[in-house]
Amino acid sequence: MRHYTEDDLILYFYGEHRSRKDVEVHLDQCDRCAASYRNLAGTLRLVETPEAPERGDQYGLEVWQRIRHRLPEQEVSWWSVWFRADRLAVAGAFAVLLMAAFVAGRWWSTPDSTTAALTPAKPPAAASAGSGSGSDDVRERVLLTSVADHLDRSERILTDIMNAPAGQDISAEQNWAEDLISASRLYRQDASDAGEHSVAVVLDELERSLLEIVHSPSRATAANLEEIRRRIDAASLLFKVRVLGDELRQRERVNTPRPRTRAPQTS
Amino acid sequence: MDATNVTDLTGVLARARRGDSEAFRLLVEQHSRRAFQLAYRITGNQQDAEDVVQESFIRAYRQLSRFEARAHFATWLHRIVANCSVDLIRSRRSRQDHASMDEITPLEQPHSELPDPERLTESARIERSVATAMAELTPLERAAFTLRHYEGRSIAEIGKTLGLGTSATKHSVFRAVRKLRTALEPLRGES
Repeated sequence: MRHYTEDDLILYFYGEHRSRKDVEVHLDQCDRCAASYRNLAGTLRLVETPEAPERGDQYGLEVWQRIRHRLPEQEVSWWSVWFRADRLAVAGAFAVLLMAAFVAGRWWSTPDSTTAALTPAKPPAAASAGSGSGSDDVRERVLLTSVADHLDRSERILTDIMNAPAGQDISAEQNWAEDLISASRLYRQDASDAGEHSVAVVLDELERSLLEIVHSPSRATAANLEEIRRRIDAASLLFKVRVLGDELRQRERVNTPRPRTRAPQTS
Repeated sequence: MDATNVTDLTGVLARARRGDSEAFRLLVEQHSRRAFQLAYRITGNQQDAEDVVQESFIRAYRQLSRFEARAHFATWLHRIVANCSVDLIRSRRSRQDHASMDEITPLEQPHSELPDPERLTESARIERSVATAMAELTPLERAAFTLRHYEGRSIAEIGKTLGLGTSATKHSVFRAVRKLRTALEPLRGES
């Protein structure tokens, strides 16, 4: 007879076990599991929801009074910049002018087939540069946001590991690190492709540390933890992750409302 | 909430997203109490919960453009409050590296229910033990357990809220439950 683990019983207690019916049937037949479950449920029932101190009807107003002078600038979304009424009006007027120019061209221009044949064709990249730059900007913004979020999550794991006492079960951090590794690889590749080498380098270092965390024993000894921390410290990884995260958020904010006129490339 | 309120809320949100601070004030007034309740359950401390509520609204205001109009503002704010609470516990712990027993504050009782010596009953003792055991959890375990046990959120929702994968979320809950069982087992033996 297959007995259920404590984890299974915890999931069952919270109504999240995938084979709820099977567990139910088993608990009816197996004294050992039934006793374990009774014990678990009995303990968890001791943990009652704490009653939060009451806050009056005016509480929301009090919170508002405390924060109203501290409200920061709102981050502006890229689409809201372009969909503001005044910009829409300008865009509309521009579209009308463009249409008028097209119609006028159809009526008055007399294309010379020989001249047309001699005019060199634009390379496809140059021809599509106008429309492509918009989507590139959006891609860049999405990448900035995603990598910044990824760095935030990674920072949490690193901080947890740096503060973990010896002998603590770090399996939750390991599972979390495992979830992040594949994302880290993709972002590193994207960053390399986009020429963001400094970002790629930090992501590479981060990936190594995440791998080390994943491959350490779940109940890490002082020596295991020391080894992981030494690598994190040696690469100043936590610091780099924080700084890079902040930098990407800054860039995201600066990039978002940027108007169409682009600064010349200096590199 | 009736249909009129939903429409009103949509309008208020749209105005707040355009930077209308008066509209944002309405959101603060409407959601502060619920935010406080969650922050208190996770942090276990009134003053910390107050700080979390303020920080959460400031964070929410800054990031309003990221909020999708189709989503529920309450759910989005709930996520921010949970993460602010985790951040606060984390920063508090790194400041007080090795917390003394005095610093492990059991969940404070509402003033009306402060137990006098006669009412220092078995349940109060259990409550204190639970609070002490909760204070021993890591910030993530504490948040995951609070959301699962007190708030009744599913593993999937908790993962989304805390930015964790399903497996990491489950393990945070499992570890929290194991630690609480270890701490509370003697009480079960006595009762």
